[in-house]
Amino acid sequence: MIDALVDGLLLILQWKAFAFMLLGIGIGFWVGLLPGLGGATTLALMLPFVYAMEPVEGFAFLLGMHSVVATTGDITSVLFGVPGEATAAATILDGHAMAKKGEAGRALGAALTSSLVGALVGALALALAVPVVRPLVLSFGSPELFMLAIVGIAFIASLSAQGGRGMLRGFLAGGLGLLVATVGQDPQAGIARFTFDSLYLWGGLELVPVLIGIFAIPEIIDLAVRGTSISGGAPPGRLNKGALEGVKDTFRHFGLTIRCSLIGTFIGIMPGLGGAVAQWIAYGHATQSARNAEERKQFGEGDVRGVLGPGAANNSKEGGALIPTVAFGVPGSSAMAILLGGFFLMGLVPGPDMLTIHLAVTFSMVWTIALANVITVVLCFLFLNHLARLTNVRGHLLIPVILVLVFIGGYTANNHYGDLLVTLLFGGIGYLMVMGGWPRAPFVLGLVLGKIAENYLYISVARYEAAWLSRPIVLVLFALAIAVILYPLIQARRSRSKGKAHA
Amino acid sequence: MKSTLALIAVSALVAVAPRVGEAQSSRYEGKTVTIVVGFKTGGGYDSTARLLARHLPKHIPGKPNVIVQNMPGANSLIAANHVYNVAKPDGLTLGTFNRNLVLAQLTNVSGVKFDMTKFAWIGSAASETTILTIRSDLPYKSFDELKKAGKTVVIGATGPGANTYDFPLLLKEFLGVDLKIVSGYSSSSDIMLAIERKEVDGRAGSYSSLRTFIDRKLVHPVIRARAAEAGIEQLPVDEDLAPTPRAKAIMALRSAPEVIGRPYVMPPGTPGDIVKIMREAFAKAIKDPELIAEAKRAKMDLEYVSGDETLKVLNEVLSQPKDIVDEFSKYIKFGE
Repeated sequence: MIDALVDGLLLILQWKAFAFMLLGIGIGFWVGLLPGLGGATTLALMLPFVYAMEPVEGFAFLLGMHSVVATTGDITSVLFGVPGEATAAATILDGHAMAKKGEAGRALGAALTSSLVGALVGALALALAVPVVRPLVLSFGSPELFMLAIVGIAFIASLSAQGGRGMLRGFLAGGLGLLVATVGQDPQAGIARFTFDSLYLWGGLELVPVLIGIFAIPEIIDLAVRGTSISGGAPPGRLNKGALEGVKDTFRHFGLTIRCSLIGTFIGIMPGLGGAVAQWIAYGHATQSARNAEERKQFGEGDVRGVLGPGAANNSKEGGALIPTVAFGVPGSSAMAILLGGFFLMGLVPGPDMLTIHLAVTFSMVWTIALANVITVVLCFLFLNHLARLTNVRGHLLIPVILVLVFIGGYTANNHYGDLLVTLLFGGIGYLMVMGGWPRAPFVLGLVLGKIAENYLYISVARYEAAWLSRPIVLVLFALAIAVILYPLIQARRSRSKGKAHA
Repeated sequence: MKSTLALIAVSALVAVAPRVGEAQSSRYEGKTVTIVVGFKTGGGYDSTARLLARHLPKHIPGKPNVIVQNMPGANSLIAANHVYNVAKPDGLTLGTFNRNLVLAQLTNVSGVKFDMTKFAWIGSAASETTILTIRSDLPYKSFDELKKAGKTVVIGATGPGANTYDFPLLLKEFLGVDLKIVSGYSSSSDIMLAIERKEVDGRAGSYSSLRTFIDRKLVHPVIRARAAEAGIEQLPVDEDLAPTPRAKAIMALRSAPEVIGRPYVMPPGTPGDIVKIMREAFAKAIKDPELIAEAKRAKMDLEYVSGDETLKVLNEVLSQPKDIVDEFSKYIKFGE
């Protein structure tokens, strides 16, 4: 095993493989920055180029590209409040709030450093998981996956404002998200739901235009109304040394970063949960680290922990998602499904052989993920503080550029004018939610988990009837879901009794 | 006199012939042909289109650029409506969509704004066969044993309209196999994982998508639909086992579009000479050794089906009597 680990590193350090990895990183860098243009699409477009490559070179190219997409996606999220990728939307909540306070550099530093930590944890998990991956993945059937979705939905409690009113609004927003997730043809009877006789809605709503609308449009309106730059009236001095502060933040909250990386890895390993879920659960977990109600209120207003959590999770999940792809030939995400095509092109059949005969190739993938992220993050730091200065540019110069990015980004989902309407509609909803003090995170959580929860519940009941309720992992996850819901209440009570003790 | 006329005619032909060639090559020279794909990037329809886009130009006089444009949504209805009603019949647009669109037309699905037989048919790049596979560790080795199992066999499926769902549904309804279809898996690979963890006992799907799992001995095939493919010829065919002519007709109707697995069309009204050029180029491209080598590496099986053959299949499907169509639409919904 150690031999294979070293062999894998040597494979990737051959000049040709390394050069292809750098090329991949270069492409992935831009794909990440531009909203809408996603990692999966780019993989599909680049696939023909790997015909002429050796397996290790091909993977260095494809994985190098893919593993930096989430990293640079965070940059767009932080600077402009526009999700650079569907998997980088959660970074907006606190990252962009920090940018508005003039702390863009710090937020970027934190996002990138936590991304790096996340990627390394994910890569390490991939390496360590090799011997146990089959039993681990196989022990999670549809009932367990349904309960995981429920645990995810339970995180709404952490993503909402405290108190009865806040909780009610949070769960209502989450319910709206679940409802929006049902749009389209249902997979059990084939009935069209909420499609209003429109062909566009048959396939359901795409995540990207919804996310871009709900997050970016309110920020653009806000920027236009304020008439200042993104960082507003914040003192300019803070921008320049921010990045290093963000690095320090990562290590100040190192435990949280590691925990969120592990959450990301775990969700990545579970095929069928989808990449967009990890960041929100990690964000929910980050808010749990608030020690009292005062601190809790800071989330969404620019708490660096709200950047670290999703930053770490959205990168670590890539290492995790490779695990089922390599071990079963069953892709853990849509990007991995396309990567699977790459396996075939390069003459490799994913499956148990990848863990024995081709182990060195598998480890070369681990190294690619790790190296690609190290290189990207180091390169980014060279001009991070320059990037942060973009938040000092006056709003009316920036808004046209952001608007173009927003609408092109939304349009890439289906290349259909409906995408633009969806972006605008959810932009309006997002704006009303911000104005009315309704949290957007629970809505998105409901949206990304709705279909998963519905389908796995149906499968569980159809397959096991009521017996699925008594499966041990289901029970454990059920208890976990209750704990997640009760945690904010316990937290509130604890801080209240502490307050009394002080008085 | 006659011979003089003949001579004139021949010389005229000789004089004209190269001009026809020139006209053909100048028609496409410097132009861009767009293949409109009714699905997103990354799937089977998309990768076939991208493969063709790389090899078609060699075989079209004038060597135009060929690019792929994805127009996903409503299981290809949006793309098909676009090619039928919006795209110009100038030879610069090709369309490739869901092979089951003809069934959508047959069952009067709302949103169908085309007549499949009026497209200018170029042909099909592949023919697919649906098979049912079950887990290799189950004691049933053949379809006959499966039928006599005396125990419900659970089949994982994505949803109505997909072959993972429709094929086992008809087996269950007409051939008396005790199957339980559990649908809602988000992709066929999710079903494979459910098979690995023994949540379900089997899955139906195209032979090409199941072959790697059959080779790995995770599952083995027990029955197939009409179109034969190398390696599974010996399997029983669903239609042959049908107890009534009616059941046979319904099964045949479900299978019919599979022969045109990757359909390619041009907008209706495209001039005949352009269609002829494209048909020839299409046929040559699919038999191009370089394309075959690339397809083999990507584990794609391409097979040329001519435009006339595809039309024959479509006419056969659309000429079914009303009572068969009514019963068919009780079981099969257009989807995926």
